[in-house]
Amino acid sequence: MPSAPASFLDPVLLARISDLGLLARTVVDGFMHGHHRSMRKGSSTDFAQHRAYQPGDDPRLLDWKLLGRTDRLYVKEYDADTNASVMFALDASASMGYGSGSVKKFDYARFLVASLAWLSQRQGDRVGVAICTTELVDVVPPSARHLQLLLHTIARSKASGAGTLTQAIERLAHMVTRQGVIVIVSDCYESPDALGRAVDLLRMRGHDVIVFRLVDPAERDFPFRAATTFRDVETGARLALRPDDLRAKYTASTAEHEATLVQRFASSGTDYVLLHTDQPLDGALHAYLDRRLARSRVR
Amino acid sequence: MPFGLLVPAFLAGLVAIAAPIILHLRHREQDRPQDFPSLMFLERLPIRTWERRRVTDLPLLLMRVAALALLTLAFARPLFQRPSNSATSARARAVIVALDRSMSMGRTGVWTAATDSARRMVASLAPADRAALVLFDDEAELAQAFTADHQSLIAAIGRAQPSARGTRFAAALREARQLASRVHDAAPELVVITDLQRSGSAGIAGTEMPANLKIRTVAVGAADHGNISVASVAVQRLTSGQRTMLSVQARLRSRANRSPRNVSARLVLNGRESGARVVAVPANGDTAVVFDSVLMPGGQVRAAIAIDHDALAADDSFHFALKADDAVRLLLVVPDDVADEALFFERALAVGRTPIARIDRIGVGQLSPRVLQGEDAVLLWDVRPAQSASASLKAWVEQGGGLIAMAGQRTATRSQRSALIAADVIGNIERLGDRGGSLGDVRVEHPVFAPFRTASASLNDARFLRYARLEPAAGADVIARFDDGTPAVIERRQGAGRVVVTAFGFESRASDFPLQAAYLPFIHRLVLHSAGRDTTALWRTTADSWVLPRAMKEPVVLTPRGSIVRLKPDSSGASTALRETGIYAAYDGRVQGEPLALIAVNSPAAESELAPMDARDLLLGVREAKIATADASEVPTTAEIEGRQRLWRLVLIAAALLLLTETVVAGRGWRGVGSSAT
Repeated sequence: MPSAPASFLDPVLLARISDLGLLARTVVDGFMHGHHRSMRKGSSTDFAQHRAYQPGDDPRLLDWKLLGRTDRLYVKEYDADTNASVMFALDASASMGYGSGSVKKFDYARFLVASLAWLSQRQGDRVGVAICTTELVDVVPPSARHLQLLLHTIARSKASGAGTLTQAIERLAHMVTRQGVIVIVSDCYESPDALGRAVDLLRMRGHDVIVFRLVDPAERDFPFRAATTFRDVETGARLALRPDDLRAKYTASTAEHEATLVQRFASSGTDYVLLHTDQPLDGALHAYLDRRLARSRVR
Repeated sequence: MPFGLLVPAFLAGLVAIAAPIILHLRHREQDRPQDFPSLMFLERLPIRTWERRRVTDLPLLLMRVAALALLTLAFARPLFQRPSNSATSARARAVIVALDRSMSMGRTGVWTAATDSARRMVASLAPADRAALVLFDDEAELAQAFTADHQSLIAAIGRAQPSARGTRFAAALREARQLASRVHDAAPELVVITDLQRSGSAGIAGTEMPANLKIRTVAVGAADHGNISVASVAVQRLTSGQRTMLSVQARLRSRANRSPRNVSARLVLNGRESGARVVAVPANGDTAVVFDSVLMPGGQVRAAIAIDHDALAADDSFHFALKADDAVRLLLVVPDDVADEALFFERALAVGRTPIARIDRIGVGQLSPRVLQGEDAVLLWDVRPAQSASASLKAWVEQGGGLIAMAGQRTATRSQRSALIAADVIGNIERLGDRGGSLGDVRVEHPVFAPFRTASASLNDARFLRYARLEPAAGADVIARFDDGTPAVIERRQGAGRVVVTAFGFESRASDFPLQAAYLPFIHRLVLHSAGRDTTALWRTTADSWVLPRAMKEPVVLTPRGSIVRLKPDSSGASTALRETGIYAAYDGRVQGEPLALIAVNSPAAESELAPMDARDLLLGVREAKIATADASEVPTTAEIEGRQRLWRLVLIAAALLLLTETVVAGRGWRGVGSSAT
């Protein structure tokens, strides 16, 4: 399983996501594409460098003071426009480390965050990440230059220990003061009401919130057959069961949880996407961006 | 039939039964749990796992406990015990009489005293007492197993006679230990009747004897330990014109005599007295007796040195055997155009008053079956015989002849392969550039290199500027290599004979080997070994065995006492133990005419040393050990013992079946039934 930052920038993966970018630039108004409206009108004021004047350059960009001192033509360049801050909240509790196949949920989450961060960076957005358990284990503040740091941070992070995502989100809400987009990647093994209250806090502070819920195929299908003792990877609690007899009840219970989450997030205006780790990542993004496109048309 | 356990200590393993019970009671899962991200949905389901599993797992628990109990019982080896009759014979004695019959016991009066002691010992036994008789010299023999028939014991003692062999108490102790291990209804006793010869104590240290075995020694040696014996003989052949003279020197050994004395010594050749000497022998010390040279008789010679008899007459005669014509007949096959290349070699074999070899020299073109007759060895001097001659030479080797093939300049420059030679010659190696090579890896344990075992460095002095590159043939053995790793000397057994190939010449053109000190002993040993003469000894001792020549098809041995022993040769030849002193003669097929080989046998020289040791020294180094005993009066057979212990197998099978059932039941998910109930 690749874990180095470079693996997140796999050209094959990025090429597939670039197709989505074309769709996003034309449909989504700035969201994750660098086409958000800037909070300040006009050009960016972040000076980057001087460059020799080339024929065709806008004369308004000439540095007249420099021309006066040196009698040479230079134009001033500024950082590209940054239209939004995208903060990723990555759930790193031990339950995210589960995986019945070759891809664990946490690996899938890292791919997802890296891909979205890269996409956002290409479009000029500021990106940051918060690794969450109960606390904020590691935080990279949003910046146009923090992509590599972000990738390193999620590459070295591991899913371990018990976690309460709602508390982490509340801390994040207090920390991120600039309005932007908060992307939460979690398996949402918490009470939908508690999660809803935490997301409401973000919404009240003006953030757009997107929740990606990751589900392993084994969590979805509950394929176990022999009488088995199950152990909660976060709490260590054990439960001896015969899964064959419980499958129907389990799937009904998880479906109920899912429905509650959908309803709760929808009521707070939060985007919610369910992703299964056996599905291709681009398929998941397609589904998400389609949903964003629909929302933009509604606007 | 009562029931018992062979190893009841294994019952301690029953403690292990507690393990599954404790695990069960503490509700610990022994299987590997299945990790799951969260049990939040599962815990909400109404499952009563605790109470239900306790009930449904009970059969599994019982099966596991029963399997463990059966396994423990199987290891404890249950057996059916037979009613013991020890109560009826608890007070009976079991006495092992070990009677020394070594050569030294033949001293005047000693054997009589020994047998009298043994008879008295038997006479002192109560009617219910049992006794066994062990006769020992350097081996032990059970002459009479445990019996309450005392007359049988007396008769066995009467039949015993002193042997010509040495003394080894360890053999007697081991035999006694075996006997004592079968006694369990009485305390066994060991009575050793011996002259306590000090030389017999070798090997006692470390011998383990049963702790309940009482050992008693009856010393029967004479108070006077004085003895004169013939310790050794040296023989030298002297060539005087066409005659061979024999010069014999004997060494007389005197020990513990009160005063010097004159002793008459006689040399007997083929039954005829051929010389006599009277020498003064000191009270303690060795004396050499040199007889006048006598004409060597023809054929195989039976010789003996006899001195005046003293109290121990058995060591007053010393036998030895030799062949009249002992020189190796070597056929030197040289190239037809060579005059004096073999000068160094021939001179080396001619050194001394008794040359070891007689050399017959022929050109390679003259080689034929006729010229091979009567030869002991053939040396191919840098030549390869023609094909027809090779065939006859090969047949001659397989019948026992020895072949030396010297690979010199001629054979090395023409790569040659031959079925006769033990190696293929595949060219020359020039060492002019590094001032010549030397012998690097030499197997000094090989008879050819026997003179160099303590002075192997002398072999490294020779420098070889050019030598042949040899490729050993199948079955060939490299016994020496040059310092560059290429074979220098190769040997192969071929039928009854042997072939030795050297990669270097015996002349001085390509090496300085003939000029080195190692040349002479090497050439001597090479010729003797090739001719099969390197194992000839003038005499052996009664502790040895005789390996007969491999050429014999149906070996028959005539012993000194006139017994005829027919031997069956195996892959390593035929051999016979030498138990009597005198001359053994070997024949092929029938005992008639001139024997093919003679060998003389004498008692070990140490047996003539009569100095006794203290009786307590006999048991120095003997360790006491608890040895399991059985009923000697009715020793069960192996089949009976096995039959009485067969129960453990049934128990083990039952345990295995239980475990198998448990596996099947557990694998079907018995426990999971509980989870379905709500």
